[in-house]
Amino acid sequence: MKTGQTVVLASLLCKTYQMGDLKVEALRDANLKVEKGKFTVVNGPSGSGKTTLLNIIGGIDKPTSGKIVVFGHDLSAKNEDFLANFRCHRVGFVFQFYNLVSTLTVAENVAFPMEWTRKSENQVEKRVEELLELVGLQHRVEHFPFQLSGGEQQRVAFARALANNPPLLLVDEPTGNLDTKTSLKIIQILLKLKGDGKTIIVVTHDKGIFELADQKLYLEDGKLVSLNA
Amino acid sequence: MRETFFPINDLLRRKLQTSLVLTSLTLCVASTLFLLLFGEKIGFGISLTVEGRLTSGFSMVFSRFIIFAGLLIFIVGAIIISFMIFVMMSQRVRDIGLLKAAGCPNDLIFGYFTTELLIITFVGCFLGVVLGILANFASTGLLSNFGLQISQKPVNFLLVLLVFVLFFILAIIFGAKPILDAAKVEPAKAISPAYHLGLSKESGFKVVSKSGFIFRIAMRSLFRRKSATIRIVFCLTTVFILVTVAVAGGIIAEVTTKSWVEKAVGRDTVLIAHQNMCTEYELLLSKFYETREDSRFNYTDERYLMPEGILNCLGSISGIEYVDIRLVLKAQVKEVRNYTFNPETGATTPVGDDREGESLIIGVEPGMVLSKWFLEGKFLGEAQAFEAMVGDSLAQRMFSTPLMQSIRLFNHDFAVIGVCLDPINNGNVTYVPLEALQGITGITKPNVVTVKIDPSLNRTEILNQLRAYIRTVNPGFEVFELNGILDRNVGFLGYIWSAIIFLPLFSLISASLCLIGYVMLAIAEQRQEFGVLRALGAKPRTIVRIISEQSFIVLLSSYAMGIALGIIITLLILVPKPLVTGYAVLEIAGWLLTALAAIFIFSLYPATRFAKKPILEIMT
Repeated sequence: MKTGQTVVLASLLCKTYQMGDLKVEALRDANLKVEKGKFTVVNGPSGSGKTTLLNIIGGIDKPTSGKIVVFGHDLSAKNEDFLANFRCHRVGFVFQFYNLVSTLTVAENVAFPMEWTRKSENQVEKRVEELLELVGLQHRVEHFPFQLSGGEQQRVAFARALANNPPLLLVDEPTGNLDTKTSLKIIQILLKLKGDGKTIIVVTHDKGIFELADQKLYLEDGKLVSLNA
Repeated sequence: MRETFFPINDLLRRKLQTSLVLTSLTLCVASTLFLLLFGEKIGFGISLTVEGRLTSGFSMVFSRFIIFAGLLIFIVGAIIISFMIFVMMSQRVRDIGLLKAAGCPNDLIFGYFTTELLIITFVGCFLGVVLGILANFASTGLLSNFGLQISQKPVNFLLVLLVFVLFFILAIIFGAKPILDAAKVEPAKAISPAYHLGLSKESGFKVVSKSGFIFRIAMRSLFRRKSATIRIVFCLTTVFILVTVAVAGGIIAEVTTKSWVEKAVGRDTVLIAHQNMCTEYELLLSKFYETREDSRFNYTDERYLMPEGILNCLGSISGIEYVDIRLVLKAQVKEVRNYTFNPETGATTPVGDDREGESLIIGVEPGMVLSKWFLEGKFLGEAQAFEAMVGDSLAQRMFSTPLMQSIRLFNHDFAVIGVCLDPINNGNVTYVPLEALQGITGITKPNVVTVKIDPSLNRTEILNQLRAYIRTVNPGFEVFELNGILDRNVGFLGYIWSAIIFLPLFSLISASLCLIGYVMLAIAEQRQEFGVLRALGAKPRTIVRIISEQSFIVLLSSYAMGIALGIIITLLILVPKPLVTGYAVLEIAGWLLTALAAIFIFSLYPATRFAKKPILEIMT
């Protein structure tokens, strides 16, 4: 990695969406630096560009201008095959609405990101067991997503994001749709992952998660501001 | 929202889907209309008109095919229309739910979507009629340019109107049901993907653990989408039955019927007769593929009778394998009525009538005949017996149950013991023992000899030798090779069968569009999940594989069922005593695999288009 301990380096990041005749600026000259092992929280009002920022860091979206370097790779210059590999091995995604694959069971949902790696069946099985134990869902192995509650689906999404043991975890509003009790379970998982030394970027409004942060950022109208200073 | 604008805007908004439904509807109507119009013109259509060409036996085989193919094309059309309208409405159920949730009354919703249905059905049927008429004109023009005699009948507009109305009503019936059902659904249900995509809660289907991840998703998605999957499998199975009947049936029937003609005329056979007789014999054989007027030819003219010298020289030329001596003439024949006796009741029932007509009469030596016919009953056995074998056209025209009756010829009754398929004089022929014919006519000499030359020897050399001998005996006589006329007969059969093979082309295109519609439904249902897979590291080709495996499973299961049923129908029902050669099997396999590959490749279009989309566009 060229930048030493820096995992994410974004400079003058802009993202503009064209909605008919209207141009919407989701990000405006956003700068960001995330160090290895740090827990970063991004906050901001709805529509301020938080999810767009996560998507660009994760290689799901590309900036209109500016530079995004993750683990030393300039993602804006990479092709789809590289980005697919990158997302598979280096990044774990937890989406706001869980987004589990409805045709797969809990175990299969956790296992499928490993399908694109060279892991043996035994390794995959062992890893699935470990992850479901981590999120406390060992008893739900054979269930389908529609048979789970929202909190359980979110925990499966966490387990899935960790399947390939990615060094960077991107989490979008993990407690946004959950009650307080279930949110606490999610916070415990995040705490455990922080303890394991993962680099984590979370978009959230949850005060409980905010307190875990090493770096706090605020995004408003596409502009990113550090709250640590 | 203006009531008339919503349906038009909605149709225009879903450009790809609207054009798919329109195209498939258009092709279904066009294929049925084309079949009816063109079938009428080429003379062996649904109406069973022979128009002076083809023997009645051959015509029957063709007509059976045409009627069956026509029926299947119509059924396929109806199924395709029902499927496309179902897919169209399945993708609108969510909108219906949203409209209801927003307070739109049921009758208005029904009105919106019924208007859409009426617009699409009217336009589809109209375009189908136009395309069907144009295809008919184009085919007629094309075949006329190739020198084939095609009737120039004007377009039967009553038929056109009938096809239009029939398909219009069918589409409205099939389309109104899902609209009515959707309009009645509660808004919450209609918005739920579990309802509007026809998902069942859990398939109960478990794939084995070792099966691949892609296959696992593909299979479960197929079972989850049960209703649509069953419909598309049913639809494609019917299309493949049609394709198999047309292609496999067409090829097997072509090989079989060609072999009937070849065996009846004789491949590599040479005719020895007077020049005028040779011309007349050629005319008799050409009646199979073109309408010819009967010439006033005197078969028994002294000049045409075979000189002894020629008959003697045939024995002295080495290399001649068979010599088939014939006396050919034309005469009035009469059906002889028979009676059946019921031993229980003691009642007698008459069989047949007293019909009369002219027939070509051929006297042959039963043990020395070169021809081998496809026949019902048996061939002549004894040289002096008063037995006859009649051609299929004569049997159909003049007899009720030919094998139970006799034929009267020169005031002598000959028992009909066989009915054969023979192209000569277009099946209007009677074969009797030569000796018996000579006995009742008093003509002691034959007028035609056909010979077969040993294929292992130099044919040209033997023919030259034969010509030289004959010229010395009687310069009026000549050696005439029958291969040319045989090739023209066989070529005519090939042309008709090739026309049949292409009949299901429109249906095949419609089936491809149906499968594309199904793939689009699969993509719409799994859109979000594909986005997630991509976001978590799946490459675009993984998504294409998941979709294509679904498409392939559907296609392959329909293919297997369709081909199996198609082959059974062809071999058991459509072609009597089929001849299946190794080459025919290869040809059939080639055609059917090409059809499978073409449909599969077409069906991948929406998948490849979808996979190219950015992840965020897929997920939002």
